[in-house]
Amino acid sequence: MIQLENVSYTYRKGFGLANIDLTIDEGDFVFLIGPTGSGKTTLLSLLYMDILPDSGRVTIGDFNSDSIKKRKIPTLRRTIGMVSQNYYLLDDRNLFENVALPLHVIGHSQNEIAETVEAALEEVGLSGLEEHYPQELSGGEQQRACLARALIKDPDIILADEPTGNLDPVTSFDLIKLLEEINSEGTTVFMASHNYSLIKSRNHRIVEIHGGKLRSS
Amino acid sequence: MNKFLFLLSEGLKNLWRHKLTVFTAVFSVFLSLSTIGVLFIAEQNTHKLIEYMRSKYKIEVFFKDTVTNEQAGQAVEKIKMIQGVYTTTLIPKEEALKVYKSQFGDDITEFLDYNPLPASCVVNIKRKYDGYLQITPIIEQIRKIDGVDTVNHQGRLISRIEKFYEQGLLGLSGVAFAIILVTVMIISNTIKLTIYANKDLIKALRIIGATNTFIRMPFILEGVFQGIIGTILASGLLYGAVYGANEVLRQLTAFTINVQWLFLSWLFLIAMVISLFGSSRAISKFLK
Repeated sequence: MIQLENVSYTYRKGFGLANIDLTIDEGDFVFLIGPTGSGKTTLLSLLYMDILPDSGRVTIGDFNSDSIKKRKIPTLRRTIGMVSQNYYLLDDRNLFENVALPLHVIGHSQNEIAETVEAALEEVGLSGLEEHYPQELSGGEQQRACLARALIKDPDIILADEPTGNLDPVTSFDLIKLLEEINSEGTTVFMASHNYSLIKSRNHRIVEIHGGKLRSS
Repeated sequence: MNKFLFLLSEGLKNLWRHKLTVFTAVFSVFLSLSTIGVLFIAEQNTHKLIEYMRSKYKIEVFFKDTVTNEQAGQAVEKIKMIQGVYTTTLIPKEEALKVYKSQFGDDITEFLDYNPLPASCVVNIKRKYDGYLQITPIIEQIRKIDGVDTVNHQGRLISRIEKFYEQGLLGLSGVAFAIILVTVMIISNTIKLTIYANKDLIKALRIIGATNTFIRMPFILEGVFQGIIGTILASGLLYGAVYGANEVLRQLTAFTINVQWLFLSWLFLIAMVISLFGSSRAISKFLK
């Protein structure tokens, strides 16, 4: 479960979020919609505890921002798959190596890694492209590679920050369908977007954020 | 174990991935270690030269005419106890007469009916002496001994040489320290550049749940490998240079450059400290 209780966060240079209350149940698919600069990325950063709230409390599963120790934050992040508009794929590593990275962090053996990477690439439809480098993949393929990297550690939650931001409408639609498939297997998906037309027909809960405050949830 | 092997291989692969910055860092380590090595070899061989010169230092002590050989012997025992004195040789009155005769051919007792030459003593200074050997206190102590008439020595020259040697040692240590400091800064800044160039890697590692140690380790290992390569290159250069120089020196003089090659392990240690400190400093600042 994801829960934010009266959460506020202020950046040094200005306003961030104010008095956010939000609960997302296990297995839900929720869209976070709002214009650029409304606080979507800040909210997601609070969820994977890249930043901690100034006041209020963020709870993710067994972890909460009040009591979490700094050294436990990586453990929390291993339960979350993060997909972002910028991909953060490494140009000097091929697709296989990029997707395998989380398993190296956990400490899996080479055999386990080979099997799991193949399965994850198959799930996102990138089988056969293992040796390709990110610059040799299309935008849609890069975003799916990013998703494969998020999925490979079998996370409880997928946080997607504008994952369709750099994609054409058809590829964007395919990606949302893929996220829905993942959600149908029990993974909670929380996706931020500013493209209302893309998400309005998907029949999922929509949370709207504006000026650092939630308007509806 | 899987994690360790992965981090080790990442450290090695980074050497190839960051070729340009690695070259800069390795070259810095190589240059600084070569310079420190040259300074060390110079220090070792200057020390040898100083020891040789010290073996040539001689202080001549002349006793008063009234001092008997026995009293002179007692005074010589006192001289022996002075710190910095290596050996003493007593020259009794009769021996002085023989020396005079052998050098000038005349037997002065034939003209004077008595031996006018006083007993004397030759004092040698210790060769092995840490740092600056101060000759004046030795001479002062000899002068205070009962029965001593005059003390002949090359005190001023000795003091000048010793002082020059001491200042040289101090200067060399200062230069070596400055070189190490500059190299730490260069490596630290080089790795900082590498880290900035790998911001995406660090961001990716953080969001997938890597600990700071996991993120830090490949960069630190990369720094250590740079240190190892730099040391190997510097050791090769120093060994080759000493070998070549000795080949030439053997044909021209009896003097050769002696090196205790164990100092290479010190160089290696310095390189490790430089690399570890430089890389840890850079990555720590970034991961704050």
